[in-house]
Amino acid sequence: MVNLDFIKSKEILSKYDVLSCKEKLVGSKKEAFLFTEKIGFPVVLKIFSPDVPHITDVGGLKLGIKNKKELEKAWDDILFSLKKNKPKALIEGFLVQEEVEGVEIMVGMKRSREFGPVLMFGLGGILVEILKDVSFGIAPISRSTAIRMIKEIKGYKILKGFRGNPAVNLEKLIDVLINISKLSLENPEIKEIDLNPIIVNNKKALVVDTCFLYEKN
Amino acid sequence: MKKINKFFNPKTVALIGATDRLDSVGLSLCKNLLTGSKKRKIFFVNPFRKKVLNKTTYPSVKLIKEAVDLVVIAVPSRVVLDVVKESIEKKVGGVIIISSGFAELNKKGKILQERIEKVLKKAQIPLLGPNCLGIVRPEINLNASFAFTTPPKGSIAFISQSGALVGSIIDRSLLENYGFSTIISYGNEAGLGLCDFLEYLKDDKSTKVIGVYLEAIKDGRRFMKVARDVAKKKPVLILKSGKTKIGQKTAISHTAALSSSYNIYSAAFKQTDIIEVETIKELFDNLKALSWQPRCENGIAIVGNSGGCGVLLADYCEELGIKLAKLDIELFNKINRSKEMDRNINQGNPVDIFGDALSNRYEIALNNLLAQNNVYGVIVTQTLQAMTTVEKNAKIIVRAKKKWPDKPIITLFMGGKNIVKGIRILEKNKIPNYLDPREAALAMKVLIK
Repeated sequence: MVNLDFIKSKEILSKYDVLSCKEKLVGSKKEAFLFTEKIGFPVVLKIFSPDVPHITDVGGLKLGIKNKKELEKAWDDILFSLKKNKPKALIEGFLVQEEVEGVEIMVGMKRSREFGPVLMFGLGGILVEILKDVSFGIAPISRSTAIRMIKEIKGYKILKGFRGNPAVNLEKLIDVLINISKLSLENPEIKEIDLNPIIVNNKKALVVDTCFLYEKN
Repeated sequence: MKKINKFFNPKTVALIGATDRLDSVGLSLCKNLLTGSKKRKIFFVNPFRKKVLNKTTYPSVKLIKEAVDLVVIAVPSRVVLDVVKESIEKKVGGVIIISSGFAELNKKGKILQERIEKVLKKAQIPLLGPNCLGIVRPEINLNASFAFTTPPKGSIAFISQSGALVGSIIDRSLLENYGFSTIISYGNEAGLGLCDFLEYLKDDKSTKVIGVYLEAIKDGRRFMKVARDVAKKKPVLILKSGKTKIGQKTAISHTAALSSSYNIYSAAFKQTDIIEVETIKELFDNLKALSWQPRCENGIAIVGNSGGCGVLLADYCEELGIKLAKLDIELFNKINRSKEMDRNINQGNPVDIFGDALSNRYEIALNNLLAQNNVYGVIVTQTLQAMTTVEKNAKIIVRAKKKWPDKPIITLFMGGKNIVKGIRILEKNKIPNYLDPREAALAMKVLIK
């Protein structure tokens, strides 16, 4: 199984109406500045390298960048940290993403021998494997199954709004589950999917990071 | 469908491998089949014995003059293909292969099994097995299995991927008051499979509830469709073994790391409205409740002579999502005003009628509770005090049940020796009793739609 590249993964997602945050892969600081003029601040800067699967481990991620000066500094810091931690890593560029506020959730898919595509839903981020607060459903996912999956996790209370935070838009989450179910049934060559995190707030749900595992039959 | 009907309701059965050799599978099959000899013709086939149990045998199934609806094969695996071919020539209605030594044994056995499956499929003859215990249909006095005994009649259907388990479950049922419509042990699932049985039992009039012991599903996609369809009509309970809780540790994606066969099967059961149980005891406790009592909406009352028992039950109900109905003061006023009531009881649910309760308090409280519109079912508890009148209480509950047939009643008569007769009265009247509060709560849970 191989990792499907970032651009292609996002293309497939948009084909199935699963929206991503505004983002661009850039090769120079100038390109990065131009993109921020289009989308505004704050942004997130990430190293883009096939040799770095977990970018936080090597200091390859900077959040909450509020202006050009900070962007420039973040760029240099990431390069410095990468040279120190993983000097031989091939750098394909930097990813500039709009910073979206909301709750991090994840949606995943794997294929089971007995049942075909199985979808997973849970609170997202890097803690997902520790917290294991996830639920499962067998494709095709109906609306009622999507609702069951969302309500089943302990973190559902967070999604419903807590301590003054507004409830997230559950309809958008339901749509993501139904659309990924459809994507999985129609693209048997895609073996596994991680959409982690998807950031969801009271208006929208936007995919930030993806991992697609692919195998030609 | 017509073919599977004949398979489950044969008018003639031939046993290939009939023998009177002591302690053999063939002999127990002979004896079990003969228990239904008034209902159908039984033929014994064995080329090496002229008579078995005083019955003349046939050297080959082909030499039987009458049509054969069902063939039961219990010969060594190496000759199974030959007798299957003879059965096909005879144009039999269906085949059960009891013999083992196939896919469960080794690769050679697997190849042989596939050949048998292929020839029968081509001839369009339904196959059960191989490597199974057979089928038992108490409803029509058919016991085509080598189970130890024949179970009593009832409305539970039990489908098992393990044959050995079936024998003990049948034996257990002889001490219990519930019974079976159908028991199927399906072994290696070469021909007919779980989905076929579920589909047949969905429309089987004598079956009210279906229990399954499952190791692995062969065709998950079909199962999702069939199970959902069947569960809409009758409750289906599954006990699944081999649900490893560990995902793939070396997985690249979070999804693969976190998903195991355990949570995938559980998701499949939830999605098809199948009730998943954790133990054999829970499976049969709940099958008993569903085979005897109607299902109801969420909102029940608990009544009994022990505060402690009531609180335990209330705890389990809360944990399981069973709602205790809100009972208003008017109901308690009415109960307390009753002439036969010898002591005032307090407002609340569980309804505590106190340790010294005689049958009168049970009668008044239970009947008034059942008359409440927002009480959809009742759990009656009874602990033993010196003055407790067990059998009288049981009869009162039976009478109340007759008056309110649409509301489920289950009981928690706790004790041992001194409640045996009471339980017998309850269960002969299809009121399921449990000995432990949690078991009672679990049974009420499956009765709630």
